[in-house]
Amino acid sequence: MGGGPCYRLAVADSIRIVFSGVAKRFDERVVFRSVAGEAAPGEVLAVTGPNGSGKSTLLAILSGLLRPTKGSVRYLLPGERELERAQWRRILGAVAPAMSLYEELDALENLRFFARVRGLQGAEDRCRSCLERVALDPGRRTQVAGFSTGMRQRLKIAQAMLHRPLVLFLDEPGSNLDPDGRSWLEGWVHEERAAGTTVVLATNDPREMEWGTRRVALAG
Amino acid sequence: MWRWLAEAWAVTAKDLRTEFRTRVALSSVGLFALTTLIAVAYSVGPFRISAEDRPFLLAVLLWIVVFFAGLAGLDRSFVKEEESHTAPLLRLSASPHVVWAGKLLFNLVLLAVLLAAVVPLYCVLMGYRIQLLGWFVALLAAGGYTLAVEATIVAAIIARAQGRGALFPVLALPLLLALLVFLIQGTTATAEGAVATVGASLRAVVSLGGAMTVVSAMLFPLVWND
Repeated sequence: MGGGPCYRLAVADSIRIVFSGVAKRFDERVVFRSVAGEAAPGEVLAVTGPNGSGKSTLLAILSGLLRPTKGSVRYLLPGERELERAQWRRILGAVAPAMSLYEELDALENLRFFARVRGLQGAEDRCRSCLERVALDPGRRTQVAGFSTGMRQRLKIAQAMLHRPLVLFLDEPGSNLDPDGRSWLEGWVHEERAAGTTVVLATNDPREMEWGTRRVALAG
Repeated sequence: MWRWLAEAWAVTAKDLRTEFRTRVALSSVGLFALTTLIAVAYSVGPFRISAEDRPFLLAVLLWIVVFFAGLAGLDRSFVKEEESHTAPLLRLSASPHVVWAGKLLFNLVLLAVLLAAVVPLYCVLMGYRIQLLGWFVALLAAGGYTLAVEATIVAAIIARAQGRGALFPVLALPLLLALLVFLIQGTTATAEGAVATVGASLRAVVSLGGAMTVVSAMLFPLVWND
Protein backbone atom coordinates (compact mmCIF):
# COMPACT_ATOMS: atom_id res chain seq x y z
CA MET A 1 0.00 0.00 0.00
CA GLY A 2 1.12 3.54 -0.72
CA GLY A 3 2.19 6.03 1.90
CA GLY A 4 0.47 9.25 2.75
CA PRO A 5 -1.06 10.79 5.82
CA CYS A 6 -3.34 8.85 8.04
CA TYR A 7 -5.97 9.94 10.57
CA ARG A 8 -5.41 6.68 12.44
CA LEU A 9 -2.25 8.11 13.94
CA ALA A 10 -3.57 11.67 14.25
CA VAL A 11 -6.67 10.81 16.29
CA ALA A 12 -6.18 7.50 18.05
CA ASP A 13 -5.24 3.87 17.50
CA SER A 14 -8.69 2.43 17.93
CA ILE A 15 -12.34 3.28 18.48
CA ARG A 16 -15.06 1.41 20.33
CA ILE A 17 -18.66 2.23 19.43
CA VAL A 18 -21.21 1.75 22.19
CA PHE A 19 -24.90 2.30 21.52
CA SER A 20 -27.91 1.79 23.73
CA GLY A 21 -31.67 2.28 23.59
CA VAL A 22 -31.42 3.42 19.99
CA ALA A 23 -34.84 3.99 18.44
CA LYS A 24 -35.77 5.50 15.09
CA ARG A 25 -39.06 6.57 13.62
CA PHE A 26 -39.84 8.44 10.43
CA ASP A 27 -43.12 10.30 11.03
CA GLU A 28 -45.53 7.53 12.02
CA ARG A 29 -43.33 4.64 10.90
CA VAL A 30 -41.34 3.04 13.68
CA VAL A 31 -38.18 1.43 12.27
CA PHE A 32 -36.91 -0.02 15.57
CA ARG A 33 -37.70 0.71 19.20
CA SER A 34 -34.62 -0.07 21.25
CA VAL A 35 -31.36 -1.43 19.90
CA ALA A 36 -28.19 -1.80 21.90
CA GLY A 37 -24.75 -3.18 21.17
CA GLU A 38 -21.06 -2.57 20.91
CA ALA A 39 -18.52 -2.62 18.12
CA ALA A 40 -14.97 -3.07 19.32
CA PRO A 41 -11.58 -2.69 17.61
CA GLY A 42 -10.48 -5.79 15.74
CA GLU A 43 -14.02 -7.14 15.70
CA VAL A 44 -16.84 -7.29 13.19
CA LEU A 45 -20.30 -6.37 14.43
CA ALA A 46 -22.79 -8.02 12.09
CA VAL A 47 -26.19 -6.36 11.88
CA THR A 48 -28.74 -8.79 10.51
CA GLY A 49 -32.48 -8.85 9.92
CA PRO A 50 -35.06 -9.17 7.19
CA ASN A 51 -35.62 -6.53 4.49
CA GLY A 52 -37.04 -3.35 5.97
CA SER A 53 -35.88 -4.17 9.51
CA GLY A 54 -33.69 -1.07 9.59
CA LYS A 55 -30.15 -2.42 9.07
CA SER A 56 -29.13 0.48 6.83
CA THR A 57 -30.89 2.97 9.10
CA LEU A 58 -28.96 1.63 12.10
CA LEU A 59 -25.68 1.97 10.19
CA ALA A 60 -26.61 5.52 9.20
CA ILE A 61 -27.28 6.32 12.87
CA LEU A 62 -24.04 4.71 14.04
CA SER A 63 -22.05 6.60 11.40
CA GLY A 64 -23.66 9.92 12.36
CA LEU A 65 -25.58 10.43 9.13
CA LEU A 66 -28.89 10.20 10.99
CA ARG A 67 -29.80 11.14 14.52
CA PRO A 68 -31.70 8.54 16.54
CA THR A 69 -35.17 9.42 17.77
CA LYS A 70 -34.10 8.06 21.16
CA GLY A 71 -31.00 6.49 22.64
CA SER A 72 -27.31 7.24 22.46
CA VAL A 73 -24.29 6.39 20.29
CA ARG A 74 -20.82 6.98 21.70
CA TYR A 75 -17.42 6.68 20.05
CA LEU A 76 -14.91 5.82 22.77
CA LEU A 77 -11.18 6.36 22.45
CA PRO A 78 -8.73 4.34 24.55
CA GLY A 79 -9.11 5.46 28.17
CA GLU A 80 -12.88 5.80 27.67
CA ARG A 81 -12.57 9.37 26.37
CA GLU A 82 -15.51 10.17 24.10
CA LEU A 83 -14.97 11.42 20.56
CA GLU A 84 -17.14 14.41 19.65
CA ARG A 85 -19.78 13.73 17.02
CA ALA A 86 -18.31 16.39 14.73
CA GLN A 87 -15.07 14.36 14.62
CA TRP A 88 -16.66 11.02 13.71
CA ARG A 89 -16.52 11.59 9.97
CA ARG A 90 -12.73 11.94 10.10
CA ILE A 91 -12.17 8.40 11.30
CA LEU A 92 -14.76 6.38 9.44
CA GLY A 93 -15.13 4.90 6.01
CA ALA A 94 -18.39 3.66 4.56
CA VAL A 95 -19.76 1.54 1.74
CA ALA A 96 -23.52 1.41 1.27
CA PRO A 97 -26.02 0.94 -1.56
CA ALA A 98 -27.53 4.38 -0.78
CA MET A 99 -24.16 6.09 -1.17
CA SER A 100 -23.10 6.88 -4.72
CA LEU A 101 -19.96 8.25 -6.26
CA TYR A 102 -19.84 10.98 -8.89
CA GLU A 103 -21.00 9.57 -12.22
CA GLU A 104 -19.42 12.34 -14.29
CA LEU A 105 -15.94 11.74 -12.87
CA ASP A 106 -13.67 8.78 -13.55
CA ALA A 107 -12.45 6.47 -10.79
CA LEU A 108 -9.20 8.33 -10.08
CA GLU A 109 -10.93 11.73 -10.15
CA ASN A 110 -13.45 10.46 -7.59
CA LEU A 111 -10.72 9.28 -5.23
CA ARG A 112 -8.68 12.47 -5.71
CA PHE A 113 -11.77 14.49 -4.77
CA PHE A 114 -12.40 12.51 -1.59
CA ALA A 115 -8.71 12.69 -0.68
CA ARG A 116 -8.74 16.48 -1.10
CA VAL A 117 -11.88 17.15 0.92
CA ARG A 118 -10.52 14.90 3.63
CA GLY A 119 -7.40 17.04 3.66
CA LEU A 120 -5.05 14.22 2.62
CA GLN A 121 -2.00 15.92 1.17
CA GLY A 122 -0.04 14.27 -1.62
CA ALA A 123 -2.43 11.37 -1.79
CA GLU A 124 -1.97 10.61 -5.51
CA ASP A 125 -0.05 7.38 -4.84
CA ARG A 126 -2.55 6.35 -2.22
CA CYS A 127 -5.47 6.90 -4.65
CA ARG A 128 -3.77 4.82 -7.31
CA SER A 129 -2.84 2.01 -4.94
CA CYS A 130 -6.40 1.84 -3.57
CA LEU A 131 -7.75 1.48 -7.11
CA GLU A 132 -5.20 -1.22 -7.89
CA ARG A 133 -6.19 -3.04 -4.70
CA VAL A 134 -9.80 -3.31 -5.84
CA ALA A 135 -8.64 -4.36 -9.32
CA LEU A 136 -9.59 -1.11 -11.07
CA ASP A 137 -7.19 0.47 -13.54
CA PRO A 138 -6.11 3.94 -12.31
CA GLY A 139 -5.25 4.91 -15.88
CA ARG A 140 -8.74 4.22 -17.19
CA ARG A 141 -10.45 7.49 -18.06
CA THR A 142 -14.01 6.11 -18.27
CA GLN A 143 -16.55 8.07 -16.26
CA VAL A 144 -18.29 6.15 -13.48
CA ALA A 145 -21.56 6.44 -15.43
CA GLY A 146 -20.05 3.85 -17.80
CA PHE A 147 -19.08 1.41 -15.02
CA SER A 148 -20.81 -1.88 -14.33
CA THR A 149 -22.50 -2.24 -10.92
CA GLY A 150 -19.64 -4.47 -9.77
CA MET A 151 -17.03 -1.89 -10.77
CA ARG A 152 -18.99 0.81 -8.93
CA GLN A 153 -19.00 -1.36 -5.82
CA ARG A 154 -15.24 -1.85 -6.10
CA LEU A 155 -14.77 1.92 -6.42
CA LYS A 156 -16.92 2.52 -3.34
CA ILE A 157 -14.70 0.12 -1.42
CA ALA A 158 -11.57 1.92 -2.66
CA GLN A 159 -13.08 5.20 -1.47
CA ALA A 160 -13.80 3.69 1.96
CA MET A 161 -10.21 2.49 2.44
CA LEU A 162 -8.60 5.68 1.08
CA HIS A 163 -7.89 7.41 4.40
CA ARG A 164 -7.19 4.26 6.42
CA PRO A 165 -10.25 4.68 8.65
CA LEU A 166 -10.47 3.43 12.22
CA VAL A 167 -14.09 2.43 11.73
CA LEU A 168 -15.62 0.80 8.66
CA PHE A 169 -19.35 0.67 7.95
CA LEU A 170 -20.08 -1.93 5.33
CA ASP A 171 -23.70 -2.18 4.19
CA GLU A 172 -24.07 -5.23 1.94
CA PRO A 173 -20.47 -4.86 0.78
CA GLY A 174 -20.50 -7.97 -1.39
CA SER A 175 -23.50 -6.96 -3.46
CA ASN A 176 -22.80 -6.97 -7.20
CA LEU A 177 -19.30 -8.39 -6.73
CA ASP A 178 -18.23 -11.47 -8.66
CA PRO A 179 -16.85 -14.53 -6.79
CA ASP A 180 -13.26 -13.21 -7.04
CA GLY A 181 -14.40 -9.86 -5.69
CA ARG A 182 -16.20 -11.53 -2.79
CA SER A 183 -13.13 -13.57 -1.88
CA TRP A 184 -10.99 -10.44 -2.03
CA LEU A 185 -13.54 -8.60 0.13
CA GLU A 186 -13.43 -11.33 2.76
CA GLY A 187 -9.64 -11.14 2.85
CA TRP A 188 -9.72 -7.35 3.15
CA VAL A 189 -12.21 -7.43 6.05
CA HIS A 190 -9.98 -9.95 7.86
CA GLU A 191 -6.96 -7.73 7.21
CA GLU A 192 -8.77 -4.72 8.64
CA ARG A 193 -9.78 -6.73 11.69
CA ALA A 194 -6.19 -7.77 12.21
CA ALA A 195 -5.12 -4.12 11.94
CA GLY A 196 -7.52 -3.22 14.78
CA THR A 197 -10.20 -1.55 12.69
CA THR A 198 -13.72 -1.57 14.10
CA VAL A 199 -15.99 -3.05 11.45
CA VAL A 200 -19.79 -2.77 11.40
CA LEU A 201 -21.40 -4.91 8.75
CA ALA A 202 -25.05 -5.03 7.64
CA THR A 203 -25.86 -8.09 5.61
CA ASN A 204 -28.26 -10.88 4.81
CA ASP A 205 -25.61 -12.96 3.07
CA PRO A 206 -24.92 -16.10 5.15
CA ARG A 207 -21.21 -16.05 4.19
CA GLU A 208 -20.78 -12.44 5.23
CA MET A 209 -22.67 -13.11 8.47
CA GLU A 210 -19.95 -15.58 9.39
CA TRP A 211 -17.37 -12.77 9.45
CA GLY A 212 -19.19 -11.30 12.45
CA THR A 213 -17.65 -11.71 15.88
CA ARG A 214 -20.69 -10.04 17.48
CA ARG A 215 -24.22 -9.79 16.20
CA VAL A 216 -27.20 -7.48 16.45
CA ALA A 217 -30.35 -9.04 15.03
CA LEU A 218 -33.13 -6.64 14.08
CA ALA A 219 -36.62 -8.09 14.24
CA GLY A 220 -38.33 -6.19 11.45
CA MET B 1 -6.93 28.42 6.85
CA TRP B 2 -5.13 27.44 3.60
CA ARG B 3 -6.03 23.83 4.13
CA TRP B 4 -9.66 24.77 4.69
CA LEU B 5 -9.64 26.85 1.50
CA ALA B 6 -8.02 24.01 -0.44
CA GLU B 7 -10.74 21.62 0.74
CA ALA B 8 -13.49 24.11 -0.21
CA TRP B 9 -11.85 24.63 -3.60
CA ALA B 10 -11.87 20.84 -4.11
CA VAL B 11 -15.68 20.93 -3.79
CA THR B 12 -15.91 23.86 -6.23
CA ALA B 13 -13.52 22.24 -8.71
CA LYS B 14 -15.49 18.99 -8.59
CA ASP B 15 -18.75 20.87 -9.24
CA LEU B 16 -17.18 22.88 -12.06
CA ARG B 17 -15.80 19.74 -13.67
CA THR B 18 -19.16 17.99 -13.35
CA GLU B 19 -20.95 21.06 -14.71
CA PHE B 20 -18.51 21.34 -17.60
CA ARG B 21 -19.30 17.73 -18.53
CA THR B 22 -23.10 17.92 -18.14
CA ARG B 23 -23.88 21.65 -18.50
CA VAL B 24 -27.15 21.20 -16.59
CA ALA B 25 -27.06 24.40 -14.51
CA LEU B 26 -25.43 26.46 -17.23
CA SER B 27 -28.02 25.48 -19.84
CA SER B 28 -30.93 26.20 -17.44
CA VAL B 29 -29.52 29.59 -16.50
CA GLY B 30 -28.37 30.47 -20.02
CA LEU B 31 -31.59 29.42 -21.70
CA PHE B 32 -33.72 31.32 -19.20
CA ALA B 33 -31.55 34.43 -19.48
CA LEU B 34 -31.55 34.38 -23.27
CA THR B 35 -35.30 33.79 -23.53
CA THR B 36 -36.24 36.57 -21.10
CA LEU B 37 -33.69 38.91 -22.62
CA ILE B 38 -35.09 38.40 -26.11
CA ALA B 39 -38.68 38.68 -24.82
CA VAL B 40 -37.90 41.92 -23.00
CA ALA B 41 -35.92 43.37 -25.92
CA TYR B 42 -38.67 42.45 -28.37
CA SER B 43 -41.62 43.67 -26.29
CA VAL B 44 -40.08 46.74 -24.68
CA GLY B 45 -37.02 47.52 -26.79
CA PRO B 46 -34.89 50.62 -26.40
CA PHE B 47 -37.50 53.13 -27.60
CA ARG B 48 -40.83 52.27 -25.98
CA ILE B 49 -40.04 53.80 -22.61
CA SER B 50 -39.93 57.56 -22.06
CA ALA B 51 -36.51 59.04 -21.29
CA GLU B 52 -37.73 60.01 -17.83
CA ASP B 53 -38.72 56.44 -16.90
CA ARG B 54 -35.80 54.67 -18.59
CA PRO B 55 -33.26 54.55 -15.74
CA PHE B 56 -35.74 52.99 -13.31
CA LEU B 57 -37.70 50.67 -15.61
CA LEU B 58 -34.60 49.31 -17.35
CA ALA B 59 -33.01 48.66 -13.93
CA VAL B 60 -36.11 46.73 -12.87
CA LEU B 61 -36.09 44.63 -16.05
CA LEU B 62 -32.34 43.98 -15.81
CA TRP B 63 -32.53 42.58 -12.28
CA ILE B 64 -35.66 40.58 -13.02
CA VAL B 65 -33.80 38.86 -15.87
CA VAL B 66 -30.73 38.22 -13.68
CA PHE B 67 -32.68 37.05 -10.61
CA PHE B 68 -34.97 34.64 -12.38
CA ALA B 69 -32.21 33.28 -14.58
CA GLY B 70 -30.13 32.74 -11.44
CA LEU B 71 -32.99 31.00 -9.67
CA ALA B 72 -33.26 28.61 -12.62
CA GLY B 73 -29.84 27.10 -11.87
CA LEU B 74 -28.37 28.13 -8.54
CA ASP B 75 -30.03 25.28 -6.67
CA ARG B 76 -28.56 22.61 -8.96
CA SER B 77 -25.33 21.84 -7.12
CA PHE B 78 -27.12 20.92 -3.89
CA VAL B 79 -30.18 19.30 -5.47
CA LYS B 80 -27.95 17.14 -7.65
CA GLU B 81 -26.00 15.85 -4.62
CA GLU B 82 -29.27 14.67 -3.05
CA GLU B 83 -30.86 13.34 -6.24
CA SER B 84 -27.81 11.35 -7.29
CA HIS B 85 -27.23 10.06 -3.72
CA THR B 86 -23.72 11.49 -3.50
CA ALA B 87 -24.64 13.69 -0.51
CA PRO B 88 -24.17 10.99 2.19
CA LEU B 89 -20.54 10.35 1.23
CA LEU B 90 -19.89 14.08 0.97
CA ARG B 91 -21.34 14.49 4.48
CA LEU B 92 -19.01 11.80 5.77
CA SER B 93 -15.96 13.18 3.98
CA ALA B 94 -16.05 16.96 4.25
CA SER B 95 -16.82 19.36 7.07
CA PRO B 96 -20.11 21.26 6.65
CA HIS B 97 -18.32 24.61 6.33
CA VAL B 98 -16.08 23.27 3.59
CA VAL B 99 -19.15 22.10 1.65
CA TRP B 100 -20.91 25.43 2.18
CA ALA B 101 -17.92 27.47 1.03
CA GLY B 102 -17.30 25.18 -1.95
CA LYS B 103 -20.91 25.35 -3.13
CA LEU B 104 -21.01 29.12 -2.59
CA LEU B 105 -17.89 29.52 -4.69
CA PHE B 106 -19.43 27.41 -7.45
CA ASN B 107 -22.58 29.56 -7.42
CA LEU B 108 -20.39 32.68 -7.55
CA VAL B 109 -18.64 31.40 -10.67
CA LEU B 110 -22.00 30.54 -12.25
CA LEU B 111 -23.38 34.02 -11.46
CA ALA B 112 -20.21 35.73 -12.69
CA VAL B 113 -20.60 33.95 -16.03
CA LEU B 114 -24.29 34.91 -16.13
CA LEU B 115 -23.63 38.57 -15.30
CA ALA B 116 -20.71 38.81 -17.73
CA ALA B 117 -22.87 37.45 -20.54
CA VAL B 118 -26.23 39.06 -19.80
CA VAL B 119 -25.47 42.57 -18.56
CA PRO B 120 -23.45 43.88 -21.58
CA LEU B 121 -25.93 42.26 -23.98
CA TYR B 122 -28.85 43.81 -22.09
CA CYS B 123 -27.26 47.26 -22.09
CA VAL B 124 -26.66 47.05 -25.86
CA LEU B 125 -30.09 45.63 -26.76
CA MET B 126 -32.00 48.04 -24.51
CA GLY B 127 -29.75 51.03 -25.11
CA TYR B 128 -29.19 51.32 -21.36
CA ARG B 129 -26.60 54.04 -20.68
CA ILE B 130 -24.73 53.81 -17.41
CA GLN B 131 -23.14 57.08 -16.29
CA LEU B 132 -21.28 55.71 -13.26
CA LEU B 133 -19.66 52.60 -14.71
CA GLY B 134 -17.33 51.90 -11.77
CA TRP B 135 -20.18 52.09 -9.26
CA PHE B 136 -22.30 49.93 -11.54
CA VAL B 137 -19.63 47.20 -11.65
CA ALA B 138 -19.26 47.38 -7.86
CA LEU B 139 -23.03 47.05 -7.49
CA LEU B 140 -23.06 44.05 -9.83
CA ALA B 141 -20.26 42.39 -7.85
CA ALA B 142 -21.87 43.02 -4.45
CA GLY B 143 -25.33 42.10 -5.76
CA GLY B 144 -24.01 38.93 -7.40
CA TYR B 145 -22.23 37.89 -4.19
CA THR B 146 -25.29 38.49 -2.01
CA LEU B 147 -27.55 36.70 -4.48
CA ALA B 148 -25.15 33.72 -4.47
CA VAL B 149 -25.03 33.60 -0.64
CA GLU B 150 -28.82 33.73 -0.31
CA ALA B 151 -29.40 31.24 -3.11
CA THR B 152 -26.82 28.80 -1.67
CA ILE B 153 -28.43 28.53 1.76
CA VAL B 154 -31.95 28.30 0.30
CA ALA B 155 -30.75 25.61 -2.12
CA ALA B 156 -29.27 23.64 0.80
CA ILE B 157 -32.60 23.84 2.63
CA ILE B 158 -34.79 22.82 -0.30
CA ALA B 159 -32.44 20.06 -1.51
CA ARG B 160 -33.59 17.88 1.39
CA ALA B 161 -37.29 18.62 0.92
CA GLN B 162 -39.96 16.99 -1.20
CA GLY B 163 -41.13 19.04 -4.22
CA ARG B 164 -37.80 20.84 -4.26
CA GLY B 165 -38.16 22.26 -7.77
CA ALA B 166 -41.14 24.43 -6.83
CA LEU B 167 -39.81 25.30 -3.39
CA PHE B 168 -36.65 27.11 -4.49
CA PRO B 169 -38.24 30.27 -5.94
CA VAL B 170 -40.98 30.22 -3.28
CA LEU B 171 -38.45 30.26 -0.43
CA ALA B 172 -35.83 32.38 -2.19
CA LEU B 173 -38.03 35.27 -3.31
CA PRO B 174 -38.98 36.68 0.11
CA LEU B 175 -35.30 36.56 1.09
CA LEU B 176 -34.22 38.21 -2.14
CA LEU B 177 -36.84 40.93 -2.16
CA ALA B 178 -34.85 43.41 -0.05
CA LEU B 179 -31.76 42.77 -2.16
CA LEU B 180 -33.77 43.32 -5.35
CA VAL B 181 -35.07 46.68 -4.06
CA PHE B 182 -31.57 47.93 -3.15
CA LEU B 183 -30.11 46.78 -6.46
CA ILE B 184 -32.83 48.42 -8.52
CA GLN B 185 -32.43 51.62 -6.53
CA GLY B 186 -28.64 51.57 -6.98
CA THR B 187 -28.74 50.67 -10.67
CA THR B 188 -31.24 53.44 -11.38
CA ALA B 189 -28.89 55.87 -9.66
CA THR B 190 -25.88 54.68 -11.73
CA ALA B 191 -27.89 55.50 -14.88
CA GLU B 192 -28.89 58.89 -13.49
CA GLY B 193 -25.44 59.72 -12.15
CA ALA B 194 -26.63 60.10 -8.54
CA VAL B 195 -23.48 59.11 -6.62
CA ALA B 196 -24.94 59.56 -3.13
CA THR B 197 -27.86 57.21 -3.83
CA VAL B 198 -25.59 54.57 -5.41
CA GLY B 199 -23.30 54.74 -2.38
CA ALA B 200 -26.20 54.22 0.00
CA SER B 201 -27.55 51.31 -2.06
CA LEU B 202 -24.13 49.70 -2.32
CA ARG B 203 -23.63 49.97 1.44
CA ALA B 204 -27.03 48.35 1.98
CA VAL B 205 -26.23 45.50 -0.44
CA VAL B 206 -22.78 44.91 1.14
CA SER B 207 -24.33 44.92 4.64
CA LEU B 208 -27.00 42.48 3.53
CA GLY B 209 -24.34 40.25 1.95
CA GLY B 210 -22.22 40.33 5.11
CA ALA B 211 -25.16 39.57 7.37
CA MET B 212 -26.35 36.72 5.11
CA THR B 213 -22.82 35.27 5.00
CA VAL B 214 -22.66 35.10 8.81
CA VAL B 215 -26.20 33.72 9.16
CA SER B 216 -25.64 31.14 6.39
CA ALA B 217 -22.34 29.96 7.83
CA MET B 218 -24.00 29.46 11.21
CA LEU B 219 -27.15 27.87 9.81
CA PHE B 220 -25.59 25.57 7.23
CA PRO B 221 -24.29 22.79 9.53
CA LEU B 222 -27.80 22.43 10.99
CA VAL B 223 -29.32 22.24 7.51
CA TRP B 224 -26.67 19.92 6.05
CA ASN B 225 -26.52 17.43 8.90
CA ASP B 226 -29.60 15.54 9.99
